[in-house]
Amino acid sequence: MRGALGDQALIYLQIARMLEDDILRGVYREEEQVPSTNELSRCYNINPATAAKGINLLVADGILYKRRGIGMFVSPGGVEKVREKRKAAFCQGYIQPMIEEGRSLGLTGEELLTMVRKAIGEGEPS
Amino acid sequence: MNTGVLSAKGVCKSYGNNQVLQDLDLDIQPGKIYGLIGRNGAGKTTLLSILTAQNTKDSGEVTYNGKPVWENQDALSHICFSRELQPTLFTGPNNMKIKYYLNTASIFYPNWDQEYAQRLLQEFKLNPKKKISQLSKGQMSMVTILLALASGSDITILDEPAAGLDVVMRERFYQLLLEDYAKTGRTFIVSTHIIEEAASVFERVMILDEGKIIENAETDELVDQFRYISGHQEEVDRACQGLEVLSSRETGRHKSCAVRGGATQLAQAEQFDVDVAPMNLQNVFVALCGHGDEG
Repeated sequence: MRGALGDQALIYLQIARMLEDDILRGVYREEEQVPSTNELSRCYNINPATAAKGINLLVADGILYKRRGIGMFVSPGGVEKVREKRKAAFCQGYIQPMIEEGRSLGLTGEELLTMVRKAIGEGEPS
Repeated sequence: MNTGVLSAKGVCKSYGNNQVLQDLDLDIQPGKIYGLIGRNGAGKTTLLSILTAQNTKDSGEVTYNGKPVWENQDALSHICFSRELQPTLFTGPNNMKIKYYLNTASIFYPNWDQEYAQRLLQEFKLNPKKKISQLSKGQMSMVTILLALASGSDITILDEPAAGLDVVMRERFYQLLLEDYAKTGRTFIVSTHIIEEAASVFERVMILDEGKIIENAETDELVDQFRYISGHQEEVDRACQGLEVLSSRETGRHKSCAVRGGATQLAQAEQFDVDVAPMNLQNVFVALCGHGDEG
């Protein structure tokens, strides 16, 4: 869990994103329990209904599941689901805008790919 | 507990020629934390005092569980309106001691929790023998918070509880409020000017403007209907088609607009070559109630 919430994005989305981050990092492993609505509410000073909304989003995505009377747990295969979800978001949030920006600068597809390859090459020790 | 709906229908109230509330309708559902926001002089305190039968209304009706609240002791003992304390009364300085307020409350509210009250007195470092006129503004707010929390009322109303509190105390107040809510699930109505730090605590937010409740919605859902759209003026105009434009500002060819719309229309606006940025509750409040004052 993070220290504080930002003030721009919707809070339940921030809560969902934070739980996803922690699942990716192995803070919560598959079949392990995640914080309850009340714990999240206390930790971030947010309304429990808002915290529940964030958790329900991950339930709908199959990342968390409910054990009746106990709490919320990371689904088997939950880590992979988060990764797939993030990959799709990465494409939409980073790759698409990059291509559009490249287009508005008049770059051809080949030029763009060369730049990407070069940037990747620079990032690796040769 | 907590089964009653507090409801106002067609409430009007004027002070002389000044019409403060105009044909106001409102439903408070049980078991939620409501935020009430409005500009200075919008009539927040007037509304809250009418909801709790501490003030008269010109017309309309206020009911709890379907029965009028006026002179209805049964309903009123389950509704706590913790008003701002005044350092002076008609007769001079407010020489009543904190202890007196606590004793009165313990007689009036059937669910009064004396142990909770004692714990809060210690936490807030309040000396019960002190007179109200000797307290700082922040300390007076602490007394009103204490009364509200310890009242145990099904509907608990706090008027500007954050006024005069430092930022540490304000955070502590929201913590206490959420702890209490997690335990009891009772209904809270909190009016405040300090919007952004309270936004995450409110499940629902009500906006009072020009004598009416113009919004009474889930906080997230309301905020998500608003965006700032900026960019080249012509492109911004195209992107804003089908959206409600609340305010706009132009500098040369650059234009920026505050808009409102449904999810589909807002997604369409993103297809244009413009910047689309989200708002927070404070931005939404200014966009709805600024009436051009924001310049």
